[in-house]
Amino acid sequence: MAIETQSKFGGAELVTQGRLERLHDLGHDFLEAKREGAYIYDEQGTRYLDAHGAAGVFNLGRRHAELAGELKRALRETDIGNFPMISLEKAHLAKALADFVPGPLECSIFSVVRGEAMDAACKVARGFTGRPELITVDGGWYGQTGFALSLSERKDKDSYAPLIPDVRVMPFGELDAARKAITSKTAAVILEPVQAENNCRAASPGYLKGLLGLCQQNGAVLIVDETQTGFGRTGSKFAYEAGGIEPDILVLGEALAGGMFPIAATLLTQRVNAFMNAHPLIHLSTFGGADVGCRVALKAIEIYAREQPWRNAAAMGERLSSGLRQLIRQAAASPVRNVAGNGLLLSLELASPEAAKQFCKASAAHGLLVVPGEVATNTVVLRPPLTITPEQVDEIVASVKAAMESM
Amino acid sequence: MPNGSPATQSTTGRMSPEEKTEIDALFSRHVNKGQFKYLRSAHLDVFETERLGVCFRDAVSGKKMYDCFTSAGAFNVSRHNPLVMKALEEALEDLDLGSYNLLSVHKLAFAKKLSSLAPGDLKGVLFAAGGGDAIDCAIKLARGATGRQEVIATVKAYHGHTGFSLSANGKEHYRHYFEPLMPGFTFTPFNDLGAVRARASDKTAAIILEPVQGEAGIFPATNEYLRGLRKICDEKGILLIFDEIQTGLGRTGKLFACEHSGVIPDIMALSKSLSGALFPSAAVLYRKIPLVVDFLDRRPNFHVTYGGGSDIGCRVSLKVLEYIEENRLWENAARMGARLKGALEDLMRENPKIVKEVRGLGLMVGIEYCHEFIGPMMSEALGRHGVWAAYSGNAPQVMRFMPPITVNDREMDEIIAAIRAAVKDMKSLLPVAMVAAKIPGVLSLLNNERVQVAMFGFLRRIEELTGKSR
Repeated sequence: MAIETQSKFGGAELVTQGRLERLHDLGHDFLEAKREGAYIYDEQGTRYLDAHGAAGVFNLGRRHAELAGELKRALRETDIGNFPMISLEKAHLAKALADFVPGPLECSIFSVVRGEAMDAACKVARGFTGRPELITVDGGWYGQTGFALSLSERKDKDSYAPLIPDVRVMPFGELDAARKAITSKTAAVILEPVQAENNCRAASPGYLKGLLGLCQQNGAVLIVDETQTGFGRTGSKFAYEAGGIEPDILVLGEALAGGMFPIAATLLTQRVNAFMNAHPLIHLSTFGGADVGCRVALKAIEIYAREQPWRNAAAMGERLSSGLRQLIRQAAASPVRNVAGNGLLLSLELASPEAAKQFCKASAAHGLLVVPGEVATNTVVLRPPLTITPEQVDEIVASVKAAMESM
Repeated sequence: MPNGSPATQSTTGRMSPEEKTEIDALFSRHVNKGQFKYLRSAHLDVFETERLGVCFRDAVSGKKMYDCFTSAGAFNVSRHNPLVMKALEEALEDLDLGSYNLLSVHKLAFAKKLSSLAPGDLKGVLFAAGGGDAIDCAIKLARGATGRQEVIATVKAYHGHTGFSLSANGKEHYRHYFEPLMPGFTFTPFNDLGAVRARASDKTAAIILEPVQGEAGIFPATNEYLRGLRKICDEKGILLIFDEIQTGLGRTGKLFACEHSGVIPDIMALSKSLSGALFPSAAVLYRKIPLVVDFLDRRPNFHVTYGGGSDIGCRVSLKVLEYIEENRLWENAARMGARLKGALEDLMRENPKIVKEVRGLGLMVGIEYCHEFIGPMMSEALGRHGVWAAYSGNAPQVMRFMPPITVNDREMDEIIAAIRAAVKDMKSLLPVAMVAAKIPGVLSLLNNERVQVAMFGFLRRIEELTGKSR
């Protein structure tokens, strides 16, 4: 089968045997062709409901017409632009973000991908505080670049070691441990409000408030990564807002432009941005905040503000999670043990990583695209578009049911 | 030159001085005040509009500028190249970024094309989102595949600003505030084979370098150096990484700079011009040697990024490669580079007190001035004559000229004429500056970046107050 697939793809340049086996294991050994709204299609026209959404990049659904239209228009007027120059598009997007994002996060550093945005956040924290120590929590997943990787929990990390020094990991959710860990030597505390890749483990408002307080007492900065939770995914505009805090630095991933252009951002308060003002052009990115990409992101922000998709995410998330819970209750021997998460960021817990892969494969066979969690590999994450309809939610539930039954 | 305005090109985009003041304030408040001040001090606070071919227009003055910076070599196929534009517009009819974990015909087609053009047996392709991301990918691949930790980079190297790439940067300027970076990185002087030989061991995972150091001030590697590095790597099982982010895709007069020496690296990072100046795209090529292949087989999700290897990006990059190949753009780069370098060497002979050295390979040409303070002054003078060229922030005495490699003879004539005119302007200013520079302490002050920003910024304000027209 694997060999058959290899010849179907050609593609030995790109597709290693290992990758091919992985795709086969997940039932994803097809070519992604048409995409529209909540769906993608393979070359034969088989339809899949995209509940992976490139890990939440496609918040507004696939190929949102307004975003595609804006990119088309913007291309005629602008391009990537010379990165060191002042830019109308960067200025407008940064202003729109300052207005859109709750709290005093008024300044933006732009990147191409989430990892780069996290690396920028860590660098600014070190530069601003003049301290090296970065403290994160276990179970995090922040991206592939150097700082992001150093903070993430992953089995293959040692292959790339030695990584960034002075990174410490404390147990998630334990304020007592945080009190011991965070000191006057700490530059930053870094976490995701909901660990999407780790069975959607969520930080409680009390924990977030406690961390912010400890940071303030010790002169450290709080970095919140909302790559997967931002723009309404968990049922509120940003997850930190529901936690009742305002971080010093906020990392936003590629959902910023709704999946039509690669752009990510690191938002800073004026207080923290003073470091960047004093050291301009010390952190650069050729493609980060490409002028044309800023236009797409600006349009996405306009859509997010107008549609307020967090409302739909809250309602549809409720419908989806109760539908899934009912399935588990009703099944005689359910391979899915539990449903975790909020809004449209949900995680299904299975017995083993092997079972999670089997579940993905069975789901694909029933028209649903999902992948296992990167940290908790025995989980499967559901991240459909925030614009999903009740009928589509029911379709997900039906696919999950069929997948469960076929296992 | 095969470029022209796409039929749909908008002519809007002009800005009044009042609007500029407003956007300046917005940029300063929400992006970076320091950056604005810094650019303003050297008259580089320009908004780009009508980005076409080898030029853009100053949105306020309407002045046409030859783009000799091109985002440090990111616009090889020129700006708004009509064929690349068309490919992108077609891609927008039915594509988006795509699912990073899935395959598509677009990803396969770009990888196949890139692999077919790559030198030697660099046949494997990984995707990345940008230059820094590509270097991080390359170093991770080398460490992972070899199971070794040490990386030998070069003094003054510039590889990017993400965790691994920053750790490989050989300039204190970019590292200082962010230390400690990754252990295991050492730096040997560029073109110094003996230093590498003394350092390299069976603990070395990779040797990484730019075949022509760009940001450092345009220093081409010698063929002997590169061949020597290859030999050391072969002897000790080290992976050789070439950062061809600036040098690749025709810039140096060959499709890839490594072709000059015939040395094939084990891993090669590409970015910048793969974007066609329109859509971010980057890639890492690797030799399919067992060490690397076995490692990647065990890591099916190695370095997957949401924004890298996007379907739209792959369509754009495929067209960029086709365009460069069909027009044999590297040949034009070689020819235009020779013309530019020759003209700059003439200027050096005529102006030994201004120009110290001219270096380059193909259309990657650098000019080193006799003093650091000349860099910002020349940027300003060049701008007045319609050439956009930036001095290097941490080596202000060096200026890079890297126009799109589609540049034609007439355009090169105008670029050279503008540089000549700017040097002539400098000659009238230099006696004053040089007298001042002879006062003890003044030269080091003039050469201090912060003093330059403050001083030139101050002069700039006086000019505006007195209404002196530029």
